[in-house]
Amino acid sequence: MRSWRTGILLFSPLLLVLASAFIVPLILLAPTSFREYQPGMGIVAGSFTLQNYVRIVADDFYREVVLRTLGLGVGVTVACLLLGYPVAYLIVRGRPGWRLPLTLLVIFPLMLNLVVRSFGWIVLLTSRGVVNNLLIDVGLIEAPLKLMFNVTGVTIGLTHIYLPFMVLMLVAALQNVPRDLEAAAATLGSSRFHVFRAVTLPLTAPGIIAGSILVFVLTISALVTPRMLGGPTYQVMATLVYDEYMQLLDWPSGSALSFALALATLLIIWISSRMTRRWAGLA
Amino acid sequence: MNDQRPTLPVTTIALLVVVFLQIPVIVVVLASFSETSYLTIPPQGLTLKWFEAVLTDSAYLGAIRNSLVLAIGATAISLVLGVAASYALFRRMLPGSEALTALLMSPLIIPSVVIGVALLQYFTLVGVRGGFVALLLAHVVITVPYIVRSALASLSGIDLSVEEAARCLGADGFTAFRLVTLPLIKPGLVAGALFSFVTSMENVPVTIFLAGPRQTTLPILIFTSVEMGVDPSVAAVSTLLIIATVLVLFFAERWTGFHRFV
Repeated sequence: MRSWRTGILLFSPLLLVLASAFIVPLILLAPTSFREYQPGMGIVAGSFTLQNYVRIVADDFYREVVLRTLGLGVGVTVACLLLGYPVAYLIVRGRPGWRLPLTLLVIFPLMLNLVVRSFGWIVLLTSRGVVNNLLIDVGLIEAPLKLMFNVTGVTIGLTHIYLPFMVLMLVAALQNVPRDLEAAAATLGSSRFHVFRAVTLPLTAPGIIAGSILVFVLTISALVTPRMLGGPTYQVMATLVYDEYMQLLDWPSGSALSFALALATLLIIWISSRMTRRWAGLA
Repeated sequence: MNDQRPTLPVTTIALLVVVFLQIPVIVVVLASFSETSYLTIPPQGLTLKWFEAVLTDSAYLGAIRNSLVLAIGATAISLVLGVAASYALFRRMLPGSEALTALLMSPLIIPSVVIGVALLQYFTLVGVRGGFVALLLAHVVITVPYIVRSALASLSGIDLSVEEAARCLGADGFTAFRLVTLPLIKPGLVAGALFSFVTSMENVPVTIFLAGPRQTTLPILIFTSVEMGVDPSVAAVSTLLIIATVLVLFFAERWTGFHRFV
C-alpha cells in the first residue's frame, strides 16, 4: 500500500501537467469543430453543424489539399526508403571504421534546427538560387526552373528532413539480420542480388515498415517545411490548419481539419501496430 | 564473409546520399560569409557583416535569449517530472503502467499543429494566452516523451539488486535512488535531455500559436522573416545555430557516446 502512495506522489505532477496542457485542450477542441462559422461574425454560439467535416471530402479545394498531403506522404516515404537503404547498408555492413563518422553525419542534420534546414533549401532552390544559377552557368537551361512553391521543392525538403529517421530505423533492422544466414545462402549458390532479395530484404521488413510509417506520419503532419518551401499557395493539411486559425480565424473549419489529421495519423499507427503484432505471431 | 560487403555502386550511392544530407548546411554556411545579398557559387567576397548585423540586432538577441530560457526551463521541468513518473512506472508502483506509458508518449503521436491549435483555443479560453507559463507548459508536454523514453530505457538496463543493497545498508528510498540508481541512468538521461532541449529549441508548430510578441523564439523569428524574403542575416544566425549544433553533438558524443541513444 505504501508503494501505491509513493507511486501516485511521483506520477501525479506530470499527470497534472499533461491533463491541463494536453488532454483537456484536445477534448475541448471537439465542440468547436461542430460549430458554424460566419465570415465577419465569427463562431455562431450554440450552433451545431457537420458541415466542417463534410467539407473536407466534398469541397474540391479541401479534397485537393487532403489528396496532395497523402500523395506527398507516399512520395517522401518511397524516396526516403530508396535513398536510406544504401546508407543503412553501408553503415552496418561497410568498413567498421566508417561506422561512427557515417552515423554522426546522419544524426547531425537531425539535430540541426528544422527551420535552418528548410532555409538551406530555399537558398538552393529559389529562382535565383544556387541550383538554378549553376544550371544556367553550365548552359543546361536558359531560364530558371521553378523548383519552389510546388511539389518538387516540398518533396526534396521533406525527404531531406525525414531521411535520417528512415536510415536509423533501417540500421536497427539490418543489425538484427544474422550474417550467417546471408553467408549460408551465398554458400548454397545464391547470387548477391538473390541473397539480398530472398534473405536480407524480408528480414528487414519490420524495419522498413516501421521507418515508412514514421516518415509517412511525420510528412503528413509537417507544417514548417511545406510552408517555407511551398509558400502560401501550395497548401497541405497542416498549413491549411495554420491559415484557418491565424489568417481566416475560421476556428471551426480548422479544428475539424485538425481532427481529420490526428485521426489519420492515429489510424495509420494503429493499423501498423496490429500488422506487426500479427507478423510477430507468425514468425 | 567478404561477400556481404557493400559493392562499389552501393557504396557510391550511399556516400552521395550522405553528402546530400549535408548540402543545405554547407550552402547556409557559405551564404552567411558572402558579400552579396544572394548566394552564388563560388561565393563572392568574404565578410562578417551579416554576423555583425545579427549580433547587434535586438530582435535576434531577444529571440535567442527567449529560446534558451524556454528550452532550458522546459527540459529541467521535464527531467524532474519525467524521471519521477518513469521511476513510478518502472517499479510498478501504479496499476496499468502500460496505458500510463502510452499516455506519456502520446504527445509524440498527435501532430504538433493539432496540439498547437488545441492549446491556442484552450489558453485563450482560460485567459493565459501569450503568457510565459502557458508556453513553458506546452514545451514540457512536447519534450517530456523524450525524457520518459530515455529514462525507461535506462532503468530497464540496470540491476535492481544494487538499489536493494543500498536500502539494506540503511539508505532511505530517495537516497538510494540519488546515490545508486541516478548515476547509473545518467548517460541515458543526458541524451534524453539533449533531445528534449533540441526539440524545444526547434519547435515552431506549437510555439507559433502561443508565443506573445515579446516571447518570439529564434525558429519563429527565422520562420516569419523568411516569409518576408530571404535575407543573408538569416544565413548568419543559421550558421551560428549550425556551429552550436556541431559543438553540442561533439561533446554529447564524447561524454555519453550519444549515437547509441538515438
